Amino acid sequence: MNWDWEKLQKQQQGRPGGKPPSFDDFQDQFDKLKKFKLPGWKLIIPIFIVLWIASGFYIVEPDEVGVVKQFGQFNRITTAGPNYHIPFPVESALTPKVTQIRRVEFGFRSTGRAKTQTFQQGVSHEVKEESLMLTGDENIVSVQFIVQYMIKDAKNYLFNVNDPEQTLAHAGEAAMREIIGKGKIDDALTTGKQEIQAQTRELMQHILNLYDTGLSVVAVQMQNVHPPDEVIDAFKDVASAREDKSRFINEAEAYQRDILPKSRGEAARITNEAHAYKEANIRRAEGDAARFLSVLSEYNKAKDITRQRMYLETMETILSNPETEKLIMSDDALQKSVPYLPLEKLPKQPAPKEAQ
Amino acid sequence: MNKTTILLSIAIIVGAFILTSAAFTVDQTQTAIVIQLGRPVGDEALGPGLHFKLPMVQNVVFFDARILDFDAKPEEITTTDKKYMNVDSYTKWRIVDPLTFYTKVRTIQGARARLDDIVRSQLRVALGRYTLIEVVSHKRQEIMDAVTARSKELLTPYGIEVLDVRIKRTDLPAENARSIYGRMKAERERQAKQYRSEGLEASAKIKATADRERTVLLADANMQAEIIRGEGEALAVKIYADALSQSPEFYTFTRSLDAYRRGFGQNTRFIMTPKSPFMKYLQ
Repeated sequence: MNWDWEKLQKQQQGRPGGKPPSFDDFQDQFDKLKKFKLPGWKLIIPIFIVLWIASGFYIVEPDEVGVVKQFGQFNRITTAGPNYHIPFPVESALTPKVTQIRRVEFGFRSTGRAKTQTFQQGVSHEVKEESLMLTGDENIVSVQFIVQYMIKDAKNYLFNVNDPEQTLAHAGEAAMREIIGKGKIDDALTTGKQEIQAQTRELMQHILNLYDTGLSVVAVQMQNVHPPDEVIDAFKDVASAREDKSRFINEAEAYQRDILPKSRGEAARITNEAHAYKEANIRRAEGDAARFLSVLSEYNKAKDITRQRMYLETMETILSNPETEKLIMSDDALQKSVPYLPLEKLPKQPAPKEAQ
Repeated sequence: MNKTTILLSIAIIVGAFILTSAAFTVDQTQTAIVIQLGRPVGDEALGPGLHFKLPMVQNVVFFDARILDFDAKPEEITTTDKKYMNVDSYTKWRIVDPLTFYTKVRTIQGARARLDDIVRSQLRVALGRYTLIEVVSHKRQEIMDAVTARSKELLTPYGIEVLDVRIKRTDLPAENARSIYGRMKAERERQAKQYRSEGLEASAKIKATADRERTVLLADANMQAEIIRGEGEALAVKIYADALSQSPEFYTFTRSLDAYRRGFGQNTRFIMTPKSPFMKYLQ
């Protein structure tokens, strides 16, 4: 009987998937068995039985769920806390972590670490055969994304699909390519990301439900979407062309804003000069008129003498000019002689004979 | 007493041995069939749980009851528009009838070979009916559904259920990819040119509008200026006329004197006769 148990215990430990009872307990027992040979029969059997019964206790952590199999067949789900199952070989318990959110990378690998750890920008490398995909307008785009998922149904997760993680990886790739294939390259590169993520998540979930994987897709997040290296310069040039466009327009607007105020200033200057000319003309006329009227009123008081005075003063001014040639001839001489006028010596205009 | 104990022990050991070799459990992830001397026993496969068999003469064959994956190698396929593409697909399948499965294909390896034959040829046939862009884009689901349905039908006789044939990747061979890159580049260059010319167009328009506005502004100003000047001159004429008309005779007189004064400067020769009124007092 004892030897049988040993065998069973050993077998149990060799078996993958089964939850063995505490190995240390067993080892202790084994040592005891060696020490006390025969006298222990009555003692050993109850101890064995107690230990055997005790091996049915297991603890389900808060982030886990317990799945109990009876003779390999699914029997029940247990919740967090201490639990008991009938010991081996009747029942065994599995405790998958169901609340943990796992992540898987597509199109790139973060280097030097396990997949489930946090994403670190800059230490990843692209996996081109995964990231490059065809778009619906026959372009190629490089999409790097991650999928976050968790176990929704522990039973399905454990028993339905051969390799749920690989299935998820396949589904993710197929779904993203299908969605990208339906859209245009610009959707993926610019404004359509949100939509693509949502659609991919939905399609992935649909595929995973189709296989009853028990997995739930929490989120699909596009990390780095860019045109393939071969054409990236052309794409960047489009961006700078867009910048150039607005630069040209800004420059033109600057020109507009420069010359229009200047022109308005110039226009104001022109009209103001005209106003000034007008006012000056009027003022001069008024001044002249006022002067004339004042003089006239005095002239009217003593017409003859004023007239005479003005005449003489004028003549004096004219004649006192040393440059003026003066010649006095008698009337007779003037009448008898033909005045010789040396035309070449004359000034341009013929001299007036005299003032009145 | 001692003898019976030994006998009892032996009986228990033998009994346990028989029991352990007769009892077997089938895991939740498995199904099993019992083979007796090379022939399956019973019509139904065994589900999960505890089962018994005859020791020595019967043995158990376990099958995976889960959904299994068959990831085919990428394959180059020609589309109707004579384009080549590399299609990478996977198939999800499971053993639904272990008895048939055991007799027809026996192992998972054998099943894979069948799957490879059937799924591959179905994919080829289906994809050959569509153009490349249909495969990539909107006909994808349709194609996958068709291939799945047909493969399912063809594999049922093997005890295999095909759940899903799904196209994972559709890639272009390197040389086709190159030509696509070339086209993408050309498209973007065109777009870049368009942006720049649009910029220049807008710029020229704005500048021309500004120039026009400037010209009009200045012309307006000049027009205003002439009108204002005219007004000023007209008013001046009126003021002069009003004042001077009070005594045209005096104006003519004083103005003439002014004119003489200004007019007779250099190079003037005055010829006067003593009879001139100016000489009156010289005589």
